[in-house]
This record gives sequence, structure tokens and C-alpha cells, in this order.
Amino acid sequence: MSSAQTAGPETLGRMSDEPQGKDPSTKKAKSITGKSPMRIAMGRLMRDKIAVVCLATVVFFVLIAIFSGVLQRLFGVDTDTVLPSQFLDLDGIPRPEYGPPYGAFTMEHPFGIAPRTATDNLAYWLEGARNSLQIATLATVVATIVGITLGLLAGFLGGVVDKVISFITDFFLTLPFLLAALTIAPIVSERFRDNPNYVTIQVTQLVLVLAFFGWMGLARLIRGEVLSLREREFIQAARVLGMPTHRVLLRELMPNLAAPIVVSTSLMLPAFVSAEAGLAFLGIGITSRPSWGQTLTQATSFFNDYSLYLWQPLLGIVALVLALNLLGDAVRDALDPKTRR
Amino acid sequence: MRRTKPLAVVAGAALLTLAACGGSGDGGETNAGEREFDNASETIDKDPEAQGPAEDIEGATAGGTITVFLPGDPGPDDLDPTNGWSVTGNSIQQALTSRSLTQYKRDPESTTGEMILVPDLAVDLGQPNEDFTEWTFEIRDDATWEDGSPITAEEVAWGINRSMDSEQFPSGPGTEYSQQYFLGAGEYEGPYTDKNTDWEGVEFDNDASTVTIKMAKTFPDMDYWGAFMAMGPAPLGKESQPPAYGQNIKSNGPYKVDSFRPGDELVLVKNDQWNPESDPARHQYADKWVFKFNADGDQTDQIMLSDNTESQTALSTQLGSSSYTDGSEVLGDRLVQQSSQCTSFLYPDYESTDLNWRKAVAYAYPYEDAWQAGGEVPGVTRVPANSIMPPGMSGKSDYFVDGEQFTFDPEKAKELLAESDTPAEISMIFYEADPLAVATQKVITEGFEQAGFTVKATGVQESPYSTWTNPDDKLNKSLNLRGVNWCSDWPSGLTMVPPLTRTGATYNTGFFSESAMDDRMDEIPNMELEEQAEAWGQLDEDMSTEFFPIIPTAFRNDLYAFGSKIGNPTGDGSIGAPNYKDLFVMQ
Amino acid sequence: MFAYVVKRLLAGVLVLFLVSMSIFLLFWYGPNEPARVMCDTKTSNRCNAERLDRFTEELGYNNAWYAEYGDYVKGVFVGRDITVAAQTTRCDAPCFGLSYKNGKPVWEDMKDRLPATFSVAIGGATLYLLLGVPLGVAAARRRGTVQDKALVSSFLFLSSVPYYLFALLTWLFFSLKWEVPLIGDTGYVPLTESPTAWFGGLALAWICLGIFGCTQYTRYARGAMVEALSEDYIRTAKAKGLPTRTVVYRHGLRAALVPIVTIFGIDFGTLLAGTIFTERIFDIEGIGLWSLRAVMQRDLPIVSATALFSAVVLIMANLIVDLVYSILDPRVRLS
Repeated sequence: MSSAQTAGPETLGRMSDEPQGKDPSTKKAKSITGKSPMRIAMGRLMRDKIAVVCLATVVFFVLIAIFSGVLQRLFGVDTDTVLPSQFLDLDGIPRPEYGPPYGAFTMEHPFGIAPRTATDNLAYWLEGARNSLQIATLATVVATIVGITLGLLAGFLGGVVDKVISFITDFFLTLPFLLAALTIAPIVSERFRDNPNYVTIQVTQLVLVLAFFGWMGLARLIRGEVLSLREREFIQAARVLGMPTHRVLLRELMPNLAAPIVVSTSLMLPAFVSAEAGLAFLGIGITSRPSWGQTLTQATSFFNDYSLYLWQPLLGIVALVLALNLLGDAVRDALDPKTRR
Repeated sequence: MRRTKPLAVVAGAALLTLAACGGSGDGGETNAGEREFDNASETIDKDPEAQGPAEDIEGATAGGTITVFLPGDPGPDDLDPTNGWSVTGNSIQQALTSRSLTQYKRDPESTTGEMILVPDLAVDLGQPNEDFTEWTFEIRDDATWEDGSPITAEEVAWGINRSMDSEQFPSGPGTEYSQQYFLGAGEYEGPYTDKNTDWEGVEFDNDASTVTIKMAKTFPDMDYWGAFMAMGPAPLGKESQPPAYGQNIKSNGPYKVDSFRPGDELVLVKNDQWNPESDPARHQYADKWVFKFNADGDQTDQIMLSDNTESQTALSTQLGSSSYTDGSEVLGDRLVQQSSQCTSFLYPDYESTDLNWRKAVAYAYPYEDAWQAGGEVPGVTRVPANSIMPPGMSGKSDYFVDGEQFTFDPEKAKELLAESDTPAEISMIFYEADPLAVATQKVITEGFEQAGFTVKATGVQESPYSTWTNPDDKLNKSLNLRGVNWCSDWPSGLTMVPPLTRTGATYNTGFFSESAMDDRMDEIPNMELEEQAEAWGQLDEDMSTEFFPIIPTAFRNDLYAFGSKIGNPTGDGSIGAPNYKDLFVMQ
Repeated sequence: MFAYVVKRLLAGVLVLFLVSMSIFLLFWYGPNEPARVMCDTKTSNRCNAERLDRFTEELGYNNAWYAEYGDYVKGVFVGRDITVAAQTTRCDAPCFGLSYKNGKPVWEDMKDRLPATFSVAIGGATLYLLLGVPLGVAAARRRGTVQDKALVSSFLFLSSVPYYLFALLTWLFFSLKWEVPLIGDTGYVPLTESPTAWFGGLALAWICLGIFGCTQYTRYARGAMVEALSEDYIRTAKAKGLPTRTVVYRHGLRAALVPIVTIFGIDFGTLLAGTIFTERIFDIEGIGLWSLRAVMQRDLPIVSATALFSAVVLIMANLIVDLVYSILDPRVRLS
């Protein structure tokens, strides 16, 4: 069964680096050189100007995410709720003295304040970045672990295990991701509404939903790689020498799988960033923390009068997703010289 | 009348969100700007003589389709007249599809939209006996169903009988009125639940075309209650079996149902069997009506402001606050502000709080801030409220519980809190599925916290009413601050005060209970008719001053946006809706 | 070949069975009080413990789940009678239960929404191909030129931006800001009612899907063409003096056919399964928007029906693609 997760519209971006559909030009044969392939790849990456710019962008966002709190203190802003009526006009738009759209930018609120609630935009933007990267990273880690584990098991053990795992992979690929996320979110919210750790549960839920619908591509990729590797001499030799299975897996196979894993992971991140914001845009993501997608939905009401409010989260998402995607592509190219574009 | 805007807007946001109070402080921002708050007329006149056909609206032309956008409003779940008790459903059906004993008509002489109570299926406004315990209505013989068959007294009696069934129609208005005032109230459970009882509360005479309703206690407001579609006919027997009938009603007004998808769309087309001669108030100008429930607020605003071909023959029942400034400029007279005869309340738990605590809450609630966060326009769609009864209701008293209008004043709240024996803790719920409700709750929490309260706010996924009105609910038991929005069913304190504060009333969400107050509520309907209005106002004032059980946070207004080709863009002050009866498409 | 088809069909049926069961179980064990929504709706939020118990019993939540699941599956194939609040409703096949909100069989409403989603999907997918393939071919023939590079890099850029942002911006500018006549007013009007309104209401959605979706077709078409143009047989054909056009389309494109058919099948299936973002942004009353609303209103039978529907469509799309693929490329069956 082929992948349902293509990069077409209505999916939340590319969930995997798996060749879309059945690309005849699979890149199985890896050229093996004497030098460390990782080092060669790094060199290649550094010579790619677009990749460097993207890398810088990504680093920028990562720093923002990590130092969100510090930055907020630096600018003297916070995400605290305020009583909005003193800052807003009757129609909910900030008054000119508090910044855009009708006034000049102020030092107190470098990005202006939000319509309706008058909270600080910069603080929300910074927290949104943090939220976005945090959830995407966690989801990527979980999905990668699941993907690698299942891929290794399927490829290495073969037989029934392979059949079962492949079936599970196909099964997950046929589940409509968006609908599943839509369905699970309110059920979880209802079930745990009284729980004191409600916020954590909501985040965990989102991470798990994202991860559970993002591991399949990697699992297939790993399985494929392992299938071709396990017949190779060095693995055969290790087995003949009586090396225990887990050692074969970890010591001999894993290093050879580093490249596909790195590529896959680097393309999972932007997909998850995009998915997180998309779900929040539809109103079913994180409700208890700032999120770019949430701001986006609210901002559409004010697009005519206060378009800046919409551009902030929008540019945040576009810049981050774009940089991550292009970087991912560059990493793939760097690791596999045979990839054509 | 319960407000059903709720799913997104009222239930969640609005409930706890809106509140009432003018100026949270420093100057200027409160003034409603160019627009003055439209006070609804003081009283509703009655004209028992009015006869059909209704006089033509000046310049009215026939034809065309009117599209009505209802942003954030899911509309009714079913169309059964007996079950209808929401502003949205009743305003549409009573004006267009479902007739009853009496009805309202916008006074053509008046510029402020005064409504007159006029006959509908009855030939007059009913003949009460001396002590208002028996009302006789003569049913006119020229009114017909959509299939052309005449409406009989028996069918009207059957419709009234149905309204006694609280089990089949748990949300119908009969639970509040039929089951309170009609003979057998509290004992007879209605024709579906109580199949074996032959109820004598309503009698009919098909030959004389009369329906006689007997009361358990004096009920002078029967003529107003008769304007509810629940006091109208239903086909006999199986044909009106609930709940199937609610999806497939038989119309008798100028329009009939073409298609109905709850929460989505209702399409009405001309009912050619409707006889204008038989109807003193309704018109049949447009060929077709399309009601779009749950319309997207922003998109609707944009459509209405764009004046494109689609919006010229459309109207929106709610212009968003973000479009208010633009709307005032672009739409001019076609932006109609209408009092919705509704009050929003916070309802503290009566058992577990004391008077000072409740007053402290009233000072700690950030009125204007909550309105703005919830997308309301302070001073326009929400104005400060001082009493339970909304403006325009006769007898409304202009008292202030604490000597002045409650405003957001954390210092005062702290003082009161110091004198209270109730812990400074608030436990409440909000509707989490609506971002506006979430934003509003944050602001409310902030206001309360500034006043020294600690707040535990739990998000719920369903309408908060489903928690508040369920005494068995575990979460509900843990709350000490709830809410309710209430709209008057007719301009009498009877429809505001008892449904909210009588012991055991469904929407008495604070479980207020004082037998002295209950007694006065029972007494007032027995008083001389002229004294009743004053008495309700006095009861409102006395109860609030002595117990302050329920905190009015806002009187509510709606903003309707009419397209440029909709003729006679006006509101209906009796229910707080567009004046569907008199609208037409300009050709 | 026959054995392969049977094998794939059986696998599809098994997946469907599991999907439907997972969905069923999710709704069975997920909510604290599964009958709550129905009870709230039927009683206008006056659902006390006693009424809740009654609805729980009526909706079968006191029975074993597998028995109820069996009924559900049976209903899908042959229909069934459902009794709620002393009212029995005939729910004809395919029966996905009754909506909690309006009490009508889910399928009755669903089939009203399908034309909108189908219209979006068919129009969008047609545009994918009409834009994507010729662009890819053109780019391949001009390989290395400025136009080619510009196309490749702008498409790379485009496909790296989340789709919903692209669609949202399109809507914000074309509909909201510029109010472009005819196409600015988006929404679904049945084709039979007014072909122009149908076209105008969906045009923006199609354009968005088309532009965004065509990028990968361009990529494949270009890749395959570049490869094909350097193959010997093409050179031979050219040398024989065949017109370039014939060479390019007859011979070159054939190589690109397999991957394009494959992704097209899956993409089209994905679109049919529900275009939630497109429908939400352009306000098109199709399956996607319907299911989003149902989620907000917690109308679980609708949510499970749409999830099941999407799964069926996706599985079918996969199946068809695999079968077509095995015809186009017989090697697949052997592997």
C-alpha cells in the first residue's frame, strides 16, 4: 500500500522524507567512501548558501524559543492578562497611543498590543515560537524513536514480525490524520478537565497525536535500509561471530542508518510545526498556552483594520517552516549526492 | 426566554463574559459614541380590534429572496412549536411559519418600534373571567394550514395540551407557564407522558370555534402567553408525534418549510394557502427566506459591509464588534440597534456565600474589559445593568443595590471581602471550545484576582448550562459562581423574576431560595392588573437590596446589519430580533 | 495477477475493519459520559442524572461494545431501526447511526455534503494535472535556463509553506480585501442550481489547491522528462526526424506516467476524503467543514462517519493505485 501522506495540499506538510508514492528513482545504493560520510556532508552543507541562511534562521528561532523568558524581560513585556478596556477603542482596536494600527510603535509594546484583549504581541509571539518548537521537537523525538524501533524490528527480524509491523504502518497511513486529531482532542479535554495538570495533559496529547501520525515514513525507510544492509558482509560476519542481536542492531546497523534518520527527522520538524499551528488554527490545538495558530484565527477578524496582527504569527510560521524545510532538503542533498532536484 | 445564541457565543462567552457596567474607570471610553442606546418602549399596547389583512408597508414590493445570516448562532434544534423557547427560533417561526392565539405587530405610527399585541388565530385577545382563572378564545374560521385545510378549535386545544408535557418538551416554554398556571399544573404530565388522564384544563367547541383554558391560579398575562407559538395549533394524533414533528412541521403562516438542517440552514418558501385576510400582522412579500445558522462572523461582517449583490438582499443578526466602526459608517441607518430585552447575570451560589461576598464579586467583575475581550461593544451591545428586569419592561425600578452602579472597583471589593465570612475563593466554569470565551474568562479571572479573590476556572466542552442546570453534576456542586442570560418572554416582571429566583426554578442556577420571596411571587398575579407592574419592580428592588442573590452584569442589545435592498430595516422589540414580518426586497 | 488482486482486496477489508473498530472503540471508551451530548441536546441542557441514565441505556452504552459494534456494522450494510427517546427511526443502509444534534440518519445529511467536497476535489485535482504536467515538461525542455531555475526554486519555496496559510492569504486578499467579482464570493452552490455561482464560489479553492498541489507533479514530470530526454530511444526518435512534440509527449511523458498516476491517485483520494482547510477557509459546506462542526458540537456519530468515510476513500484510492500500478509495471506483483 502506498503512502497516503504526500506533500499535497490538505495534508499538513510533508510528514516524512519518504519518496512520494512510488518514486522509481529510489536511492538505495549508498556510495561508501573511505572518509566519514557525515563530515563530507557537513562540508557540502556549509557550501550551500541557502542552507546556511536557513540554518541561521532556524538557529535564530531556536534561540528565541530557549530564551523566550529572558527576551521578554529584556523588552519588559509579558503574556499576563490585562484589563483591556483602558487600552482599546470601542471596536476592540488598540488606541493610537498604544501603538499600531493607528499609532506609532512604542517601546513598551514593540510589536503592538492585541485587539480585544490588549495583551502584548511580542510576548505572545515569543511564547508562540517556544510553544511551536517545543511541541514539534517533542513530537519529532517520539516519532523518530517509534519509527526507528519499528523499522529496525521489521527489517531485521523479518517474517511475521515484519508482516505485522508493515501492516500497522499501512494501517496508520490510512487513518485520516486531521480527523483523528480533531476527534481525539475534545475527548481528551473532556476527560481531564478537572485534572490539575490539565495544561500538561493537553500538550502531551497533542505531541502524541502528532507523533503517532508521523512515524510511518521513517519506519518504512529504516526497514528498507535494514533489509538491504542485513545481507551485507559485515552484518553477516558479526552474526556469524555470535554477536547478540541487540549489539548487531545498535553497533553495526545504527551507524549506517544515521543518514536516513537525520534526513527524515529534519523534515519531520517543519511538518510538525506546521501541523501544530494548523490544528490551533482550526481551534483544536493547545488552548491554554499562546500559539501562533490561535493568534492567526483571531487575527482574521481584524485583517482589514489591523493586518499587522495577522502578519506576525503568519510570518513566524512561514519563516520557520520554510527554513526547516529547505534546510531538510539541503541536508538530504548533502548526505546523498545522487539526489537530483 | 432563554437565549440560544449560545453554542459559541452566549453559552460560553457571553454567559460569564458579558456583564454590565458602565465605565470601568478613567473617563471617555464609555460613551457609546454617536449612537444612543435605544430604549424599548415603556409598555406594549394592546389592540384587540386589529383585523387582517395587515396594512401594506410603504413602498413594499413582492418577490425576491431574503438571506439571513446568524453568526455564531446554531438556531433551534427542531421546529416543533411546543418546544420553541429561544429568541432565534421563536422570532423566525412566530413571524413566518407558525401562528398562535395572539401576536405582535410593529406600530406603524411609532418611530421607536413600539409593538402592539394583536389577535392572531383568535378573533380578539381572549375573554377572561373576572379573576383571570378562565380564558376563552374564539378561533377565526378563515385561517388554514399549508395543505389548505382549516385550523380547528380542536387542533388549537391539542397544541395547548401538548405544552403541558415537560417530559417530551423539557425545554419548551410550557414548563414555565402551562405547568405553572394551567389547571392541573404540577399533576397532569401532558398527553404523551400521561396518556390515561383526560385533562380538563383546555376545552374546545368546534361548532362555536372556541377554546377555553382553565387556570390553576389567576393568570392575567394569558394574552401575552398566547403569542407564543406553543399556544398554537398542532395536527391531531400521530402527525404531530414528537420528536419527528419537530423536523417536519406543518406550517400555517405565510411561509412553509422547504428544507431544514439544524445548526446549518432553514429555507422557507411562500405558503400559498395562507390567507392574508385572516392575519392582522404578517406579510408575504419575499418569495423565499434562507436562514444561515452558525455563519462565520467575520465573513458575514465582510459580506454585509461589501454591499455586493449577495449582501444587498441579506441581513445579519449580529455585527461583530471589530466591524462596528466601519459598519456605522458604511451602513448608516441600515445598522439597527435593538434592545434584546435580555439581562446577563452572574449567579453566586446562595447557600455557600454571604451578602458581602456577593457584593464584592459585583465590584470585582471587570465589566467593560470582559465585554471587549468577548467581542462586544461597550455601551452599545452591552450596557450597565442595575436590576433584574431589563429596560423597557413596565415597572422596572431604577434602584442601585449599593447606592450607585456597580463598577469594577477592586479596592471596594477588598473592603467588602474583609467583612465577609465566605472564603475569598471563586470556582466557576467557562466554555472552552470558544476562543472568545477563553479570552473573556482570562480577563474575568484577572479582575477577580486584582480584587483579592483566588479563582479556579474550569473549561467545559459543552454549553455551561448543561452543567449549571444539572443539580446532580459533580462539577456543578463544586462551583460557587455560575451564570445565566435571561430574556423576557413578554414585558412583565413575571417572565424575568420568578424563572430566575423562584425556589427550584430551572434557571435559578444559584439555587436562591427564600420563602418570603416565593410568597410574594405567588401573590403578585392576584393583584389588580394595574398594580402588578409596579409590584414586580418593587420585588426586584427589595429582593436585590435585601439578599442580592443575583448579579446583573449587562443589559444586552443586538446590532443588525441590513443589506441595501432590504426594505423597512427594523427590529422587533417584543422579542429582540429583526422584524421579519415587515421586511421585503426592494425591486 | 488475480491472486495479487485478491490479496490486496483482503488486506483492504482487514484494514477497514480495524479502522472502523478503532473509531468505534474511541467513541465508546473515550468520553466520560458518552450519552451526554444526546441527552443535552434532547433536553436542551436539562440533562439530569436520571435522564442521562435513560439515554445511556437507550443508546446501548450499557451493553457490551462488541454487540453494539456488530449492530453498527450490520447497519452500515443493511440498515437498522434505532430507538431513541421512545421514537424509532428507520436508518437505511448505509446507516452510520443518528446525529446527536438533529436525530436524523447521518447518511442523509452526508450525501447532501458530498457534492461540495467532490466538486472541490475534482476541480482541484484537474488543475493539479493541467498545471503541473505541462509546466514540468516545459521546464525539462528548457533545462538549465533561467525560467527553469526560477520555476524550480519558486515551486520549492511554495511547497515549503504550509498549505493553509497559502489558502488563508488567498482568501484574505481576493475575497476580503479586493473583493474580486465573481470569484471573491466563495461558497458552494449546486451546479444544477447555478453553474456560474458554482464555478465562482469554488474557483478560488480550486486555484489554491491547483497551484499548491501542482508543484510535485511538476517535479515528477520534469524529473522524468529530463531523464527520458537523455535516453537513447528518444535520441533515436529525434534522429529519425519525428517532430519534437511527438517525441516529448508520446515517448518522454510515458516514463513520467507511473509516478504521476500513483501520486495522483493518492492525492485525489486525500481530497475526496475531506478538504477541511479548504472548506473552512473558503466556507464551502462539504464533508470537511461538516466534520469540523460536528467535532465542535461533539456530534460523535457524524465524526465517526466522516472518519470512516475518509478511511474508506483512502483505502480504495490506495488499492486502485496499486492495481493500476501493477498493470503499468508488472514487476511490482512479483516483489
